[in-house]
Amino acid sequence: MVELLQNLIDGLGRGSIYALLALGVAVVFGVMHLLNFAHGELITVSGYAAFWALEAGWSWTLTVPLVIVVAVLTSLVIERVAFSRVRGADQFTLLLTSFGVHFVVFAMFLLYVSASVKTFPRPGWVTDTYALGSLRVEVFDTVVIVVTLATLSGTTFVLQRTTFGLSLRAAAADFDTARLMGVRSDSVIRGAFALSGLLAGIASVFWLMRAGSTVPSAGIDPMLKGVLAALIGGLGSLRGAVIGGFALGMAEVLLRSRLPDSVASLTEGVVFLLIALLFIFRPQGLVSVDHAERV
Amino acid sequence: MFPDLRRDVLLPVVAGLALFVLFVGAGFLYQGLLGGYERLVTLALIDAILVLGIQIYVGNTGVLSFGHIGFGAVAGYAFALMAISPVEKAKRIANAPFGLADVHLDPWTSMAVAVAVVLVVAVVVGIGLARSGAESGAVSATVITLALLFVTHEVARNRPDLTGGDRAGLSFRIGGTLDSRIPLYVALLGAILTALLYARSRGGRLAIAAREDDLAARAMGVNPLVQQMVALLLSVAVVAVGAGLRVYERGSILPRDFFFNLTLVTLVMLIVGGRRSVSGALLGVGVITAGRELARRMGQDGFEFFGIGLDGAPLDWIFRENLKTVFLGVAMLGFMIWRPSGLLDDWDLDRWLHARLGGWRSRRQDRQGDGRPGLPPDVEPDDTDVLLVDGVSVAFGGFRALDNVSLEVGRTEVVGVIGPNGAGKTTLLNVVTGLVASDAGRVALGDTELTDAPSHQIARRGLVRTFQNLRLFGALTVRENIEVSALVASSTRRHCLPVDVDGLLVAAGLWEVRDRRARELDYGTSRRLELARAAAMAPSFLLLDEPTSGMSDAESLTMVDQVRRMAGLVGAGVMVIDHDLNFITGICDRVTCLDRGQVIASGTPAEVQADPEVQAAYLGTSAAN
Repeated sequence: MVELLQNLIDGLGRGSIYALLALGVAVVFGVMHLLNFAHGELITVSGYAAFWALEAGWSWTLTVPLVIVVAVLTSLVIERVAFSRVRGADQFTLLLTSFGVHFVVFAMFLLYVSASVKTFPRPGWVTDTYALGSLRVEVFDTVVIVVTLATLSGTTFVLQRTTFGLSLRAAAADFDTARLMGVRSDSVIRGAFALSGLLAGIASVFWLMRAGSTVPSAGIDPMLKGVLAALIGGLGSLRGAVIGGFALGMAEVLLRSRLPDSVASLTEGVVFLLIALLFIFRPQGLVSVDHAERV
Repeated sequence: MFPDLRRDVLLPVVAGLALFVLFVGAGFLYQGLLGGYERLVTLALIDAILVLGIQIYVGNTGVLSFGHIGFGAVAGYAFALMAISPVEKAKRIANAPFGLADVHLDPWTSMAVAVAVVLVVAVVVGIGLARSGAESGAVSATVITLALLFVTHEVARNRPDLTGGDRAGLSFRIGGTLDSRIPLYVALLGAILTALLYARSRGGRLAIAAREDDLAARAMGVNPLVQQMVALLLSVAVVAVGAGLRVYERGSILPRDFFFNLTLVTLVMLIVGGRRSVSGALLGVGVITAGRELARRMGQDGFEFFGIGLDGAPLDWIFRENLKTVFLGVAMLGFMIWRPSGLLDDWDLDRWLHARLGGWRSRRQDRQGDGRPGLPPDVEPDDTDVLLVDGVSVAFGGFRALDNVSLEVGRTEVVGVIGPNGAGKTTLLNVVTGLVASDAGRVALGDTELTDAPSHQIARRGLVRTFQNLRLFGALTVRENIEVSALVASSTRRHCLPVDVDGLLVAAGLWEVRDRRARELDYGTSRRLELARAAAMAPSFLLLDEPTSGMSDAESLTMVDQVRRMAGLVGAGVMVIDHDLNFITGICDRVTCLDRGQVIASGTPAEVQADPEVQAAYLGTSAAN
């Protein structure tokens, strides 16, 4: 029981970060039908920004806003340079464009920084824990969960109560109709990328604090987590993406602690297998969104 | 008729041989001119086999796969486990399960084992892809293939008892490596011919039709899932051979050898050349291999590479190590943005040869004034089966799109369904053809129950439809569009006379444009082609969804003749949905009027037109005066 509770808290902490990433992926998918394989690059770029700032003597307090701003700007630049040029293209083109962005960013850091790992100091409190009954809870997990819940509430507020949120949801439901109804496609798409960047920026802060390092290929792991969680939730569903993020975090923690040792190292593989099985038996994801085709 | 031996067998073989000679020749030229590139060319030969393997699946089905290199990993390890001598294996994986440590086969038997293993894995993955609803551009299918890549990588890294683990020092050594290029040439030629012949085969045609329009293919009786499975198996078999040769040539295998990097490189090669073309795949391998090598050398030595000794200092910010990775990324991104279908798009050498020879031949025929086939005679219906729709109801949420609708169509009549927008006409057609499931009621053709059967089964039973928004197979020629249905008909509707494709082309007024791609046709011609394609199924009933939508009055009238002629040619009954009253009264024997999901009138066109309820609902009150 205690172990299960412990798993639950760990899973929530991990799942929070995935939920932020997945929501960013889902927001962009909503307006462009683009499954963004380059989403992780926001973490790569902001990771290097954090590395340079911390090396220049900045404190984490200053670095946190920097990371978030860099993530938002990167998201907007990527949209401008690459994705704005393939709007309305077929899935094949969209998927490979985002894959291409991933590789260009990866290659740029390889070219101009180096292939080696850059480490930076993590804030002291990341590894602190406190007792809650018989549980040991990480301060870090607590912060992550609280901040994530606050971010999700804020995002929900924006989506439900602002004109931008309404345009975004309308566009996600039916982009063409939304445009006919006067939703400005340019601004809603850019807004979606900015929001996606903001969510990724917050996730990035936590990701970097925990990792304490970055490499040119650092984006792959968070990208996979975000994309998979969004898919688990059912692409296009914002609520589904958040649920998918928590489900993925929980599944990883449970598998890691419950699987026999001989296969525990295969956790990632097992997670992938489960996800493949999910698509096979429930291709529309956990939260289904109707995409009827007109004939 | 199909297969046209010259177009589908002879020319692909000739083109395949030519491509092989060109590719290998270019390799020799490259290593001869520049010197010291033997290994690079050898590796390009192997890459070409892998890329062709991927092309067979990705190019013909339109499903983007990141997983083929995962299949390659499976094949590579299977090959290595079979081919490495027990002495070598004892050093690395003495405790391998299933007594694998003692197995020792010769390389070619090992290769066969690798192919067999991969085929088994591919059947499982293929069933998964089919279940996930794979179709051209399907995102979930792509993610499943990505999952496959990661799962194989994880397993390879974490089962050192089987794979030796992921450290460089733990690589296998195969006793003796590949020391001749002959096997590579044989495999490459085999891969080229497989890819070309498959694309022109019956299965390849149907897969391409489904790639162009999944829904239309199913409506023509094609089961896309079966065709995708065939493409997948063929494709991974070729990839397995390529992977085995790659391992053999290197003499070692590591988990990272078959992972993200190779996936990127092979995909870039495929999309740069043109994924829908075999020639394109080969061109892509050549261009990317040469380009990447140039980028690597320039990254290393700057302009020194050209031996001119130009001062490259101002460009130092570009000429840096790892330039080749930038090159790959930029190539992928640039092509996706500016030329997503690649250098050659779907141009292929054998098709080009066919068009050339065909053009020359038809000019000669035109001079001699023959070659144009005569009109085929009408066919008497071979049975008297009736299309029966009985009490069908469908609700979307709370909206009753169809409410207890019944109607009958005989083999020799034309029945029209009219009604205002939203009356449920297209929904009725969708229920009859299996695209929408009904909540109640039944659909039957004679004694055959068709209620809620899959779309392609219904088409094979003889109910074939057209679409309101044109759904042609754009990349195929006019003739090939018709052949798709004729192909399906010939294998699933054997009791019917084989459809005379030439005659149909003439009857539909498409003879002159038979070798044009469907996507190049004007609107009216496209409509005629859609009708002819449906007729080529030799259906018992043609179901037409607004065949005159977007046409002028004059064009609508010619459509009346067109529909009559096509239906007469194959002896089919017709059920037609339309708004156009001239058209409906001009062609229909009987008319049924729907309003808000219910039948409000049926009878002869004149009777229905006179019905006050119809006038109120459909024609509007002004028309009643």
